[in-house]
Amino acid sequence: MSRRRSFARLLAPLVALAMLAAACGGGDGGDDSATPGDDVGETQAGGELVDGGTFLGDPPEHIDPALNSTLDAYQVVNALYDGLTDIDASDPDNPKVRPHVAESFEANDDASEWTYKIKEGVTFSNGEEILPSTFQKSWERATNPDFAGDYSYLFNFIKGGKEKLDGKAQTIAGVKADDATRTLTVTLSAPYSNFDAVSGFQLFMPMPSEATSDPATFAAYENGLMIGNGPYKLEKPRTDQEIALVKSDTWAGDADGEKWEDRLDKITFQVTADADTSYNALGAGEVDTANIPPARVDDAESNWGTTLDVDILGSYHYFFNGRNPIVGGEKNKLLRQAISQAIDRDEINEAVYNGSRNVSTGITPPGIPGFAKGICEFCALDVKAAKKAFADWQAAGGKLAAPIPIQFNADNGHEPVAQILIDNLKEVGIQAVAQPFPSETYFSQLAEGACVICRAGWFADYPTYDNFMYDLFHGESLDGNNYGFQSEKFDKIVDEGKATVDKEKQAKLFQEAEKVLLNEEIGVLPINWYRGDYAYDKDKIAKFTQTNFGLILWEQVALAA
Amino acid sequence: MPSYIIRRLLLLIPTVFVALSFLFFLFFLLPGDPVDLIVGGADRTVDPGVIARARARYGLDDPILVQFKDYWLRTLRWDLGESFLNGRSVNELLGERAVNSARLSVWAIIIEIIVGITVGLISAIKRYSIADKLTTIGTAAAAAVPVFVLGFVFQYLFAVYPNQHNWPEWARLRTSRLGPDEWFLFFIPQGEQWRYLILPALTLACVSTALAARMMRGSMLEVLQADYMRTARSKGLTERAIVVRHGLRNALIPVVTLIGLDFGTVIGAAVLTETVFSWPGLGFTIADAVGDRDLPVILGLTLVVVIVYALVNLLVDISYAWFDPRIRLGERGKS
Repeated sequence: MSRRRSFARLLAPLVALAMLAAACGGGDGGDDSATPGDDVGETQAGGELVDGGTFLGDPPEHIDPALNSTLDAYQVVNALYDGLTDIDASDPDNPKVRPHVAESFEANDDASEWTYKIKEGVTFSNGEEILPSTFQKSWERATNPDFAGDYSYLFNFIKGGKEKLDGKAQTIAGVKADDATRTLTVTLSAPYSNFDAVSGFQLFMPMPSEATSDPATFAAYENGLMIGNGPYKLEKPRTDQEIALVKSDTWAGDADGEKWEDRLDKITFQVTADADTSYNALGAGEVDTANIPPARVDDAESNWGTTLDVDILGSYHYFFNGRNPIVGGEKNKLLRQAISQAIDRDEINEAVYNGSRNVSTGITPPGIPGFAKGICEFCALDVKAAKKAFADWQAAGGKLAAPIPIQFNADNGHEPVAQILIDNLKEVGIQAVAQPFPSETYFSQLAEGACVICRAGWFADYPTYDNFMYDLFHGESLDGNNYGFQSEKFDKIVDEGKATVDKEKQAKLFQEAEKVLLNEEIGVLPINWYRGDYAYDKDKIAKFTQTNFGLILWEQVALAA
Repeated sequence: MPSYIIRRLLLLIPTVFVALSFLFFLFFLLPGDPVDLIVGGADRTVDPGVIARARARYGLDDPILVQFKDYWLRTLRWDLGESFLNGRSVNELLGERAVNSARLSVWAIIIEIIVGITVGLISAIKRYSIADKLTTIGTAAAAAVPVFVLGFVFQYLFAVYPNQHNWPEWARLRTSRLGPDEWFLFFIPQGEQWRYLILPALTLACVSTALAARMMRGSMLEVLQADYMRTARSKGLTERAIVVRHGLRNALIPVVTLIGLDFGTVIGAAVLTETVFSWPGLGFTIADAVGDRDLPVILGLTLVVVIVYALVNLLVDISYAWFDPRIRLGERGKS
């Protein structure tokens, strides 16, 4: 999942300015940094919160669960809708999938068929009851070929999903809804033992019949008064300036049935065109939360509550395009190794991000079930080994005709990272040059094969190892999210892992796949893992919890008494 | 004069046609297929059938000339289409954004006129005085400081700092956003509104005010040395009458030209100010639409910017005749 920061790109590189503003001084709060969810003081019931930390740059393109692909808008979607399942991330190292709108779920022995029993009495905020057929209709809406969103490829997991998306079928063959027995049966196109987590993702959320009845109105639905089944409902149709949510009295509660009756009465998501402006608005008391620009990390820690201590399930990395003659293929493996060992990831984290991220030791971040630390053998700075690998590559006939392009989407704050990479590579004798691409077309150009060494980032959609291995590096994702990694061996292990029901065995398989990716093929350069980046007014907000998915648990946010 | 105005208004038609047609064709030269962005092709492997259907839905599968013809037929009916991105009516978007831009621009220009002309005038009359030197330094600095730096500094000084030091509520300006959107006589802020308007208006005005002051100073200095000014002095007129009646009107012509051009620019291209202050205006929206390859929004909003620009230029030309009665609009020069 991407994080949309569109027009703020114009101002993002202005680190010096941000530092100037930071030097001007901070708020008048104390110096104790709050840990989200810990030491919650006295709280009050209800109240209003103005959020300035979620929407930076542009207003969200979509807030329809079937269309949205950004973490930012997922904050709203998550407050408006509940899915079949939910992720309990209260233990960040051991997230669990739990039934939510479903009362229970189970898979057959090979995880090729999943059966969900839908709870009774769960309704949308307009009183419409949620039935198994509600999900069926919602999924048929989400796979309408004229409407389908960026994430609709996930329906390929379901038998007949691809045919429906391609317009070759009217229904999804693998989805059977029986309202009488409240049973939803989903047959997959291939065994997939993590489908329980996937089925709670926003794409699979239920939509009321007013949204699913007329295909002509699908696209416009999100511009009106959308009806959901979550803890909040829209107060009025969204505008480009703000999205206002109010407490929904018909909410059935979270996965435990807890209704958080004292939750906020109203949440207003304000759109701010720039991260520094958002942060200044917090300082001026105009908003209660803000995004923390990298140069303001110290100031935020001193003056505000922050979520900087939340390890987000997300990776920042550079792909090697395996099909590119400069860096791809078996013959350039030593070059890729030299590059990986030449990178000073600590320097990047300190110099660019003010220490606000975690240095990667692999692609899959801690918190993903099956995570193992230190999988990458070549991700630690080792200039001597890098020089040797480069010399060996040259001795074997390798030669660089021109500096290697280090590619990134321009004006999004990635330039300083690329510059450090270039400087690091120069240390070991490898010439490289920054190659910024226009932000708007960057990823489509990569998907079309433009990648040599290209930047990318990924936030987990759900806490599964395959959300990183399959979605980013599998052959079926090639030219989608995968910008050039190809390995039959890797694909085979990932396929086996996806189909494996035994969680321990599955974890070992995915770790093995990641070792192939990082150590055998050296197909990617892990750089860092994200951390939370919200600042909030801790004098006003007593509890503000960000999960490691990056989602704020809005129903649990509480104001100080 | 009336025939001159009519001719200039008629000239608007080819101006708008050429500008927008140029923009239309330029759009197709930009890298990146808008359909890729519409269907989210940047983030996923999209079925070719889906791409084809999206292309057909927005008429992007037609030859460019057909699209061009359709565009103009729609535009003549003032149907500016719908955003590729979210299906919103461009007419509605235009209604919101153009008004916001106009309000901000009017205030920026008012500041530019009052401060720029006054400072330039004093600076010229009190040449080489402390005030003149300070003005020279001040205007150079104001013109040199980038808009976004100025914006953030203003935010800190007038919004963040007062809040942190518990200044009275009325003295705390707002960092960003449009505010309650309450106006009297279209552009006079009401209630809380002025607290949202001041900083973006000041920031937007800053550079052009400095330039106007510099131009006013130079123009006035030139006029003060003109023969007719000596004649006026020899007639025994007071210095005030000389400066105001004879000097100022002549010196204002180049300054008015600058201010007129500025108005056209700030209404459609105040991108940085609108970004820093999250002011939902035309410039920010157009720039964003270019990024998103959202052709209907680009063309719809630019249409208005071009019209406003042309009209403001016409007003500036008309104003020449008022400032200097020797100028006869619409008459060919005699040799």
